[in-house]
Amino acid sequence: MDADLLELDTGGASKDGSQSQGVYIYRPADKIKSSGERPTKRRKVARTDLPKAANSRPFVSLLNGDEDAKSIELRYRIYHKFWAAQEAKIKGILDDVDSEVLTNVLSFVRSTSPQTYDGCIPAALVTVGSNVSSLGRLLSRLNGQLTATGEGGVIALESGDAPNLKTTLKNIIRFGITNTEGNEGYQSFVTDREGPRVLGYDLDLLADYVKRKEVKKLVLAFRDSEAFDPGILADLLSLLSSWLDRIPLTLIFGISTSVELFEGRLPRSTVALLRGRYFEIHEASNCVDRIYGRIQAEQDGKFWLGRNITSVLFEKSSDSFQTPEAFSRTVKYAYMSHFFANPLSVLLADDDAATTIQRDKVCEALRNLPSFRRYCEDTMEEGCAEQVRKLLEDDAFLLEQSAQWVKSGQQKMRDMFKCVDMVQRALKKFNIVKKTSISDLAIRALAGELQTSASYEDILRAIKTLDSDQMPLFAMMLPDTLTASSDFAQIQADFGALLQVYQGTEPLKSGYDKQHSVVATTVVQQRVKLSKAKVKLPKENAEFTKIIDRFHALLEACLEETLIRPNDLVLHEIFLLDMRNPLKEVFSPRPRFAVERALSSPFDYLISSPESSTVKVSAHQPAAAILYQLYLESGSLVNVHDLWQAFYAVFESEQGNGCDERTAMALFYRALSDLKALGMMKSSRKKVDHVSKTAWMGL
Amino acid sequence: MLPSEVAQSISKQWPCRELQSRQLASLLGAKVSSPSTIVVHGISATCKTTIVRNVLAALDVPHALVRSPECITGRHLLTKILWATLEALGKRDEWEKYGKGRCEHVSTLAVLLNECLASAFVSSQQEQHPPTRNNRNKFVLVLDGIDKQREASPTLLPALARLGEVIPSLCVVLVLSTPPRPLFLQSAGVPHISFPPYTRNEATTIILQGGPPPAAAATLGLSDAVASTLYPHFVAAVYDSLVGPTASSIPTFRSICEKLWPRFVAPITTGETPPGGVGEWDFTRLLVKNRALFRHQGEGALVHHIVTEEDEAEPPVAKGTTAVSTKRPRSLSAASAPSPLPSLPYFPTLILTSAYLASHTPQRLDTIFFSKFSSSSLSARNKRAHHRRRLKLLSRAQLEDAASAAADPSTPGSRKKGKRTKTKITKSTLESAFATSSATTSAVGGGGGITGPSTILTARPFPLERLVAIYHAIDPNPPANPIRMAAVSDAIYAELATLRRLRLVVPAAGREGRVGMGSGGLNSGNTTSDTGEKWCVNVSGDWIGELAKTVGVEVGEWLAGGLD
Repeated sequence: MDADLLELDTGGASKDGSQSQGVYIYRPADKIKSSGERPTKRRKVARTDLPKAANSRPFVSLLNGDEDAKSIELRYRIYHKFWAAQEAKIKGILDDVDSEVLTNVLSFVRSTSPQTYDGCIPAALVTVGSNVSSLGRLLSRLNGQLTATGEGGVIALESGDAPNLKTTLKNIIRFGITNTEGNEGYQSFVTDREGPRVLGYDLDLLADYVKRKEVKKLVLAFRDSEAFDPGILADLLSLLSSWLDRIPLTLIFGISTSVELFEGRLPRSTVALLRGRYFEIHEASNCVDRIYGRIQAEQDGKFWLGRNITSVLFEKSSDSFQTPEAFSRTVKYAYMSHFFANPLSVLLADDDAATTIQRDKVCEALRNLPSFRRYCEDTMEEGCAEQVRKLLEDDAFLLEQSAQWVKSGQQKMRDMFKCVDMVQRALKKFNIVKKTSISDLAIRALAGELQTSASYEDILRAIKTLDSDQMPLFAMMLPDTLTASSDFAQIQADFGALLQVYQGTEPLKSGYDKQHSVVATTVVQQRVKLSKAKVKLPKENAEFTKIIDRFHALLEACLEETLIRPNDLVLHEIFLLDMRNPLKEVFSPRPRFAVERALSSPFDYLISSPESSTVKVSAHQPAAAILYQLYLESGSLVNVHDLWQAFYAVFESEQGNGCDERTAMALFYRALSDLKALGMMKSSRKKVDHVSKTAWMGL
Repeated sequence: MLPSEVAQSISKQWPCRELQSRQLASLLGAKVSSPSTIVVHGISATCKTTIVRNVLAALDVPHALVRSPECITGRHLLTKILWATLEALGKRDEWEKYGKGRCEHVSTLAVLLNECLASAFVSSQQEQHPPTRNNRNKFVLVLDGIDKQREASPTLLPALARLGEVIPSLCVVLVLSTPPRPLFLQSAGVPHISFPPYTRNEATTIILQGGPPPAAAATLGLSDAVASTLYPHFVAAVYDSLVGPTASSIPTFRSICEKLWPRFVAPITTGETPPGGVGEWDFTRLLVKNRALFRHQGEGALVHHIVTEEDEAEPPVAKGTTAVSTKRPRSLSAASAPSPLPSLPYFPTLILTSAYLASHTPQRLDTIFFSKFSSSSLSARNKRAHHRRRLKLLSRAQLEDAASAAADPSTPGSRKKGKRTKTKITKSTLESAFATSSATTSAVGGGGGITGPSTILTARPFPLERLVAIYHAIDPNPPANPIRMAAVSDAIYAELATLRRLRLVVPAAGREGRVGMGSGGLNSGNTTSDTGEKWCVNVSGDWIGELAKTVGVEVGEWLAGGLD
């Protein structure tokens, strides 16, 4: 590039500035830092401004800014209350899961020593699969247990802590000592000792610590063993094995791929230093299913995630590496966005708090809800125009009604999830489907499709073939709404009476049982005749078949009633969040798509005159966009001169002879370096005057 | 004590090392003036350090031993030498006098050692302390495994050898585990004492000295007479079959003997009748009976696994707690199948598969294999069939036996070929494509179970764009809405980061950096990917093939050699 061309760059910049006038300029929310002042000096001070920030409302005013402070506050409070409850549940599950592995690992750590393994370092290989975060939880709990009993502690190493041997050793020693002594304890341990000053990476320090504290077990955990440099790991292990007589070490390796792969990457001599056992941590999906079940299907639920969100959630957790923590964060975001953006969520508040809401605004919003409108239309068709008029005109009546609707809707949702739970347990119990997860059933139920699904029919078919032993088991799983009904009580009573009378040792089978002919030899012929020729069954069996029939009918009716389409409920917008979008956009952003779109059709983002947007490439577009579109037309190696010619031609064709070549060239160079910075092209080694293409559109 | 007496007393405990201990004792003996440097060398587990230490202890010479593999840097080693010397001379409390316990260079070490040895001998002379009187002018410094010192400067060894010349009262013993090169200390006339590996006779003598494992005999109810006649034969057989061929050490030998002995004599103790109607079990019969035992152990002796089968069958510790014993069956079942394949989620699996394909397909053949512009016209089909035949022929010539293992014939291969084959695939280009890549047969880590299609080509680096493109080509459930595809490409990067953490897919530069020991610091922190930076898959092929099947992609369908 010529020097005089470089000087022209300023001219290009001014022109460029005039071009991009419609651009949205991103301003960071933090005004103090962005305004160009000197950043405040960083010091360690006690956070005095923290409570102030917490007091200020993080939520903004909705309903065109007419919402008052109280309502905003109320929404925020409800959100906190709801999420706190859910978070406690999630934490309980996370603490509970893998507790079995924990006890196994703990007993391994306690029971093994180099002596039991002929001088090899005891090593626990924990395969975690894609459940990457679980090992961290396991280790912190292990550490808690070991430090509580004073046996020792856990030193957890990440691959980032081990760039080279010296730093690794320093980190090991520091983590080991600060674990029980704290940071200051470590400092004093290093400095306040008699004798000469010890180097920070001298394991003498750790040995000394072990001796002084009478540590019996020191667990060194490699959280992501694959990411460690194998060379450093080999060095470290050989070093540690020579210290084994002074430091009672046990190793834990977190393995995400497979044990074979892990062993294969280490040198033989290093593998020979280790001996131990496998432990397996369950997959994340198991944990995620449990979390979802607790959040949605618990009987104190007041707010639910709809079908679309559920499917987004599970798609993400099953398709990619996702920790249960990340899952719960996504759920949290969904909760947050509901209470942040829905002014009607105040109706979820308890009764006493609900009196503070702005009646007129809320009622107006209620009347605009799609589900409310649909309800009104339906009621009109039924001929109850009076009630619709009242709903539309009387605020008090509307509020009262809507409170009822919300309550009944919530009850219906609870009942539905109870049924889902029942179906899932029944499927598991009677081994109808190999693998059932609550997520599949919940997605179907939330879409209102469970009745048409295969598992629903399987369940009903299975009921018909229940025998008298399985029947009470099944009855125990049923939701209370069903068991409380008088019909069910009647069936139970009849069933009890039948069992009283029945003398046989074999459980009673219904007439639908097809296996019966195989099982029993004496009754076989009668049964076969019955099913084909309608010959009378033994009296008890016939009675039982009748009971089963009644039971089946009752259950079917009950399920029919409970498994509603949640989106048909009136005012479901309040207690059911079913919008795919904020969640999907936020958790899987598409930067590449956005950049490509901005470059290939810049007027999607920029304000432009109508006639210019129809032309594909025009001089009105930003230079980088023009160049990008030319670049898209080329092959993988581009001659820069050709590119320049084409670029110049764009300007020439629109501006005729008035086009300034030097300005255009400045723009060209600027655009070229823009594309380079975006990683679209780089200079080619094959030909001096060519650039090579490194990004293709639409991938 | 005379050297021969020392050697005798030591050989009681550590047999077959009389020669070496006598040499050491005569060189280091109290009455003689020792050479300034002694080199002791021999491969590992030949009893070097133990003999040196015990000779020194028996001779009652003041000495210090520093294990240099425990020292991280050269400076660390020098500091340790100083401290060990101070400790051995009983002057630990006076460390501030001698360079404040700090020592950063060999020349400093020489001065400091000189000072402290001089003062120590002066003081002991003044005190006329009886036991040290004989040895008052001698101090032996043993540097164990000095050839394995980390970050040692090239002059360290010669400099340490000079210490004894600078300080008359010091004798430095260098213990090496590699055979020394001639004049590696840059000085002539240094006495070398070699510890050769134990011969067959020596090894069996050492093992037999302990006699048959007593615990086994007592519990098994084997009479001592029978045991003592059988055991020598047994030990010899173990040596010949397992220890000698694998060049194992004495401790391994001993542990194998102890482990196998009870099982070897099991037919006697359980009261089985020997075959052939003879009343007695003799060694030959036992050996024939236990052939499988030896074979099994032989396999285990060559490949060490972190988790051995015995550990699983009978965990080495007595598990008293009920909690553990109830959990045993579960943990056993989990451990017996330790998931040979990692279970990656769907999306990463697909990315890994595409990375593998990108690594193992020559870039120039991409248009044939992955192009989506498939045509159903007759000429295009003929062209495809033509290329397929040609590829098949070539791959068959390369590995004849792999042809049967090659992938499924059910797929018609309609998606594989492009009608726009601008790059004409002639036989010569194909051959050159294969020739450049078939020099080495397998991918990194492709050790066991080399199968046909996966090993025709070496793993070669590829740019990320190619990975994304191949991903779209092999995706078994392509999105119906093409707008969504953009999100896929962005999501790939996030998953790729995790795959990189697992070292399944690595930046190409990082893979080469792995070779240098301890040089990982260069690339382990670097997670940015520059424009056009190349990546490479880092696992073997059969493994990925299995994995890909779970998401519905047949790797052989796409690979050059796997065509049929």
